[in-house]
Amino acid sequence: MKNNNLLFVTIGTLLFQILFVDFLTINLIRPDFLLIYVFYIAIIYGRVVAIVVAFSLGLLSDLFGVGSYFGLGPLTLSTTAYLSGFLYNKYERLLPYVFHCIWIGILLLHFYINTYFRFQTIFVSDILDFVSIWLTSFSYTMIFFLIMQYFYPMKEASRAKIN
Amino acid sequence: MRSLYLTLLKYKDHLLFLLAISLSLVFLLRNESPDIYLIRGKSSDLFSFINSPLAWVKNMTQLQKETELLREKNIQLSLQLESMLAAYEENNSLKDLLDYSRESSFELLAAKVINMGISSNISSITLDVGKKDGVTTNQPVLVPSGVIGKTLIVGESSTLVQCINDINYRLSVRIYPSATTGILRYLINDIYEIRELQKNAQINVGDKVVTSGYSKIYPENLPVGEVVEILDERGSFQKVARIKISPKISSILNAFIIVGISFDEK
Repeated sequence: MKNNNLLFVTIGTLLFQILFVDFLTINLIRPDFLLIYVFYIAIIYGRVVAIVVAFSLGLLSDLFGVGSYFGLGPLTLSTTAYLSGFLYNKYERLLPYVFHCIWIGILLLHFYINTYFRFQTIFVSDILDFVSIWLTSFSYTMIFFLIMQYFYPMKEASRAKIN
Repeated sequence: MRSLYLTLLKYKDHLLFLLAISLSLVFLLRNESPDIYLIRGKSSDLFSFINSPLAWVKNMTQLQKETELLREKNIQLSLQLESMLAAYEENNSLKDLLDYSRESSFELLAAKVINMGISSNISSITLDVGKKDGVTTNQPVLVPSGVIGKTLIVGESSTLVQCINDINYRLSVRIYPSATTGILRYLINDIYEIRELQKNAQINVGDKVVTSGYSKIYPENLPVGEVVEILDERGSFQKVARIKISPKISSILNAFIIVGISFDEK
């Protein structure tokens, strides 16, 4: 039953990304709902489930259409899932600012890898522009991440399995 | 044996991560492999089918806006037509004088954009035409304002296009009026960079950029963009020009694929 729910929510998230991502595109940058979902899965279910979900979603996302770097989606999402898995059941054990710094760092790393692969030329020619793209992509997804916090706070998510 | 099993079980998360990373790297390193192309082609057909109702809704919602733009464009073109007709006549007579032998025309295939991928940066689009419509890989894709990419993976009824803003995309271009050639690549937003330009080339802001024709994929003189900045460093042996392209990749609804070039003998 639990597995079925997870499967349905995963498919729902994928559909949500497919349906709404085009309408939310600003200057070729889009929010990454799959990343938000993978992060939540990691803190709710732990690393193993998160890596499986992240790899599958990343692969499907790349199969849906990507010019070059087919495989980058599963790579970045799996890395995020693995690192986010460290925060599983840690909300109460870590100091709040440490917890928040870690997850922000993980998301920043995700976007760094993504941006580095896609904008290597700018990384070489103009590092400031590169940082600007990196932080813009990160901030855009963060807006939706913070909105999500309002509906389903991280504190609640991390306790979801305990309750 | 049991201890090995227990060790594997204990570190299953790390092992799973290693497996996921290894598989991802295999995909990344085998991007050009025919097997990967085949899988992507099949999945492109499937996802296009899933996405087609959404594409239809999107087209409908943007139809009114597009109609207004087309009306405006129609008026502009009607005004241009008058002067173009005169230039055409003049061109024909000059060609006759020079005994110009051949003129090329493109066989264009119109296609609808049905999908722009779901990754956080747009670098590809999917069109609703495929092998059954005569599309093959490496055919130029353009909109009236310029080149936007080339066909990368062709399924039975859908085609994945590598957009001009993909990091691995390169295009041989010529800058007019100086006729200098260089290699174009994506930089940021709608700004692109042309490298390997001759140091002594006379390039100015506002110069037009077209395809050079040196490529096996792109015929010459397809519009690409306009020069907006020139970088001429003292220590460098080459010039770099930055150009802006007209098409907005994120809002393209329709595109054309050049499926063939026919030559009319004069």
